[in-house]
Amino acid sequence: MRFFAVLLVLLAACATPPEAPPAGQPEPAPQTEPPPPPVARSEHTAVAGLMETARADAAAGKLSTAAASIERALRIEPRNPRLWQELARIRLQQGQFVQVESVAARSNSFAGADNALRAENWRLIAQSREARGDADGARAARESAEKFSR
Amino acid sequence: MWQRKKVLRVAGIATLVLLLAASAFTLYLDHRVRTEFEGRRFALPARIYARPLELHAGLRLALPDLEDELRELGYKALIEKPDPTREAGGGWYVRSGERLDIGLRAFVFWDGAQPARQVRLAFDGGAVSALTDTEGREVALARVEPLPIGGIYPAGNEDRVLVRLAEVPPHLVKALVATEDRTYFTHAGFAPRSMVRAALSIGSNRMQGGSTITQQLVKNFFLTPERTLQRKVTELVMAVLLEVHYGKEEILETYLNEIYLGQDRDRAIHGVGLAAQFYFGKEVQHLTVAESALLVALVKGPAVYDPHRHPARSLERRNLVLRETREQNAITVEQYAAARASELGVSRKPGFGTSPYPAFLALVHRQLRRDYDEADLRSEGLRIFTTLDPKAQGAAERALAKRLAQFDKDKRFGAPGLEGAVVITDPQSGEIQALVGGRDVRFRGYNRAVDASRPVGSLLKPAIYLTALTDPARYTLVTPLDDGPFVWKSRGAPDWEPANYDKKFHGVVPLRTALAHSYNAAAARLGTDLGVERVLDNVKKLGVERELKPFASALLGAVELSPLEVAQMYQTIANGGFRSPLRAIREVTTQEGRPLQRYALAVEQAFPPEPMYLLTAALQGVVRDGTGQGMKNFLPEDIGVAGKTGTTDEQRDAWFAGFTGDRLGVVWVGYDDNRAARLSGSAAALPIWGDMMAVLAPEPLALEKPERIELVWIDPQSGLRGISCPGAQELPFVQGSAPRERAPCASPVDAAVEAVGQTVEKAKSWLERLFGR
Repeated sequence: MRFFAVLLVLLAACATPPEAPPAGQPEPAPQTEPPPPPVARSEHTAVAGLMETARADAAAGKLSTAAASIERALRIEPRNPRLWQELARIRLQQGQFVQVESVAARSNSFAGADNALRAENWRLIAQSREARGDADGARAARESAEKFSR
Repeated sequence: MWQRKKVLRVAGIATLVLLLAASAFTLYLDHRVRTEFEGRRFALPARIYARPLELHAGLRLALPDLEDELRELGYKALIEKPDPTREAGGGWYVRSGERLDIGLRAFVFWDGAQPARQVRLAFDGGAVSALTDTEGREVALARVEPLPIGGIYPAGNEDRVLVRLAEVPPHLVKALVATEDRTYFTHAGFAPRSMVRAALSIGSNRMQGGSTITQQLVKNFFLTPERTLQRKVTELVMAVLLEVHYGKEEILETYLNEIYLGQDRDRAIHGVGLAAQFYFGKEVQHLTVAESALLVALVKGPAVYDPHRHPARSLERRNLVLRETREQNAITVEQYAAARASELGVSRKPGFGTSPYPAFLALVHRQLRRDYDEADLRSEGLRIFTTLDPKAQGAAERALAKRLAQFDKDKRFGAPGLEGAVVITDPQSGEIQALVGGRDVRFRGYNRAVDASRPVGSLLKPAIYLTALTDPARYTLVTPLDDGPFVWKSRGAPDWEPANYDKKFHGVVPLRTALAHSYNAAAARLGTDLGVERVLDNVKKLGVERELKPFASALLGAVELSPLEVAQMYQTIANGGFRSPLRAIREVTTQEGRPLQRYALAVEQAFPPEPMYLLTAALQGVVRDGTGQGMKNFLPEDIGVAGKTGTTDEQRDAWFAGFTGDRLGVVWVGYDDNRAARLSGSAAALPIWGDMMAVLAPEPLALEKPERIELVWIDPQSGLRGISCPGAQELPFVQGSAPRERAPCASPVDAAVEAVGQTVEKAKSWLERLFGR
């Protein structure tokens, strides 16, 4: 990596570094709406199955069972930010607001460059803060969500 | 005349009183018989299970390990797939090359019943490459039933598996009746002829049979084992009452479940259901004539006729039972001949008493007691699903036993030998996968992993460095620290002058080097600069709940903690600053499988990700370049183990705590009586850690880089920027905290090289954002 970088510099030194992209080369189009959700990761079928089960259970109000399925999935993929986010969503439904915040933060810590995911985590945090009567905190979380939605 | 009348009257009254008393007594007994027989029935122990193995494509699992687990579960290894109608219940596997067909048994899990099913697994390079059903369709996930690892037993450690009379083979019942109570199906609860004999025998020492099955049941169920006339009468009356209220089948079924049939260390084997499993490893309905006869033989005295300890005596008694059964015409001549000719056939597998993992079980029990009545735990047949990973547990037990034996031999310090304790957890969830409380792993006594509080030595240092690294404006991984002689004066306490392990001082060293080599003077100076209370506050935030006295010596590990507490502390580090309480239990259900309680995963963000990332990188440095270097003899360096050694004064305690991508382990070695063990953390605890982790083939530690962390090339000599300096290392810094100055050795193009590097990074993250990861 280091030597690759050194080589690049030496090569770059021979040419005039371009100050701006040459005319004619299209710049990335300005985004007017949030980017489409990233292509689904090549998720494990086992994990995907458990996620589906959890969503169905949560929809049916079986929140504890839903959380258990997510935990099973997390044992398979402990660094999958979507699973942590799903758990945060379930904790919100369960009214475990403090957990929502921590679990969503855990999801953020694995989110990498996935800003849409981060934005959603901040929205969950905002909701949990609202539910706890922390209006200022909720506003700050919404602002973070906005920032990542851009 | 007058006198006689009076005598008669007195006698009459006396008779009346006696009759009344007898009736009242009978009524009382009747009440007892009905309420107790109806209501209580059997106390069933809480059954404790290991974690279930979840099979799916991509699972890192070696084929032989899966076979081990299936064998432990009592699955049969077959040469070819059995006739589906015969083995529909599962409980078998067939290996062909790198493929395994399994007939999974049905099991009621916390979240519902899973029927018996067949699956096929293909293995490739230590992982499951495909999981399909018999038709070749992909199966997303299949759970193997969890291994039973013990129970919480009623008084006397009575264990039993309830059976219905219909499940008990007729030849067992016939043998029992023929041997113990020939007139059972016709008598009214007692057999007068036998009774007379029994009455005459009171006071003598002769072993006296003669009680009917009903009387034996009454004796076991309601009464104490003393042999007095009064008790004999009570037994008789209750037996008759039992027969009045209940049918022969019901009484017999209760008897078959109650009867004491053996002892497995501290566990009492009751009932034919459990006895069938214990002696023959099978369900009661599959017992042969000979096997049934052996169980009946044991009724008279499970210790005297113990088939393991006294096989000859046991065989003789079994054959006597067979003869009696034959004499009653309850079996055919052919059955008799075949049974008589067969061996005892008891399984060789040694029992493990109430649990093979007493230390782990004691922890589970302790956690359960917070939420359940002791009485319920011992009688309601609750099912407890735990986090124990049998493979991790086995690896920890073997590594500890092997090394301790070796150290004992090398040191020749005599008895009692070195002791040790091990904890293994899942760093992400905080689930306890293994717990070893001492070198005698089957001993249910002093549980060092939980109850031994020992000085932790340098294991506390990460808390000092963490405290420093939370202030990136002042401290980075390359901040120079002074490892010169250090004296700490405080009023009312003697001066504290920590020396280094190698008795030398090292001058000015970078922060990460001070941690890597565990320099005491540098750490003490840094800790007192930061403030002892602040450091101990962070120890608390890392998850250590006990109150720690704010003495400066605490910084270098005068603090005493149990291995489990150390595991909790390192858990928070391994988990990127998210604290999760260590858990040993996942779920509790009723006997029928109705869920009672879940112990859910909980996390709490105790520290921001950046200082945790820096600390973990420094702890990887400990293993790569510092006191943990020996790890390379056990695990490939690309696993990137992060860890810390700990050694206390005069080497009384040797510690190693560390983690990989998927396992966290803490090892302690020392003497119970606090003798100097003359073994350091890296010489004693690290090899145990390395041995057990090598068996478990851990995943590499891949850190998720927080956004606000940047990597900068640093010249090791000056601690300044210098991508082109010899031996330059790429180190993480909180953005803006890296040194700005360039090292003397840095070449003029360095700035440009760095700029390109940053551009590449930016482009990478931009691309990631655009296309997802």
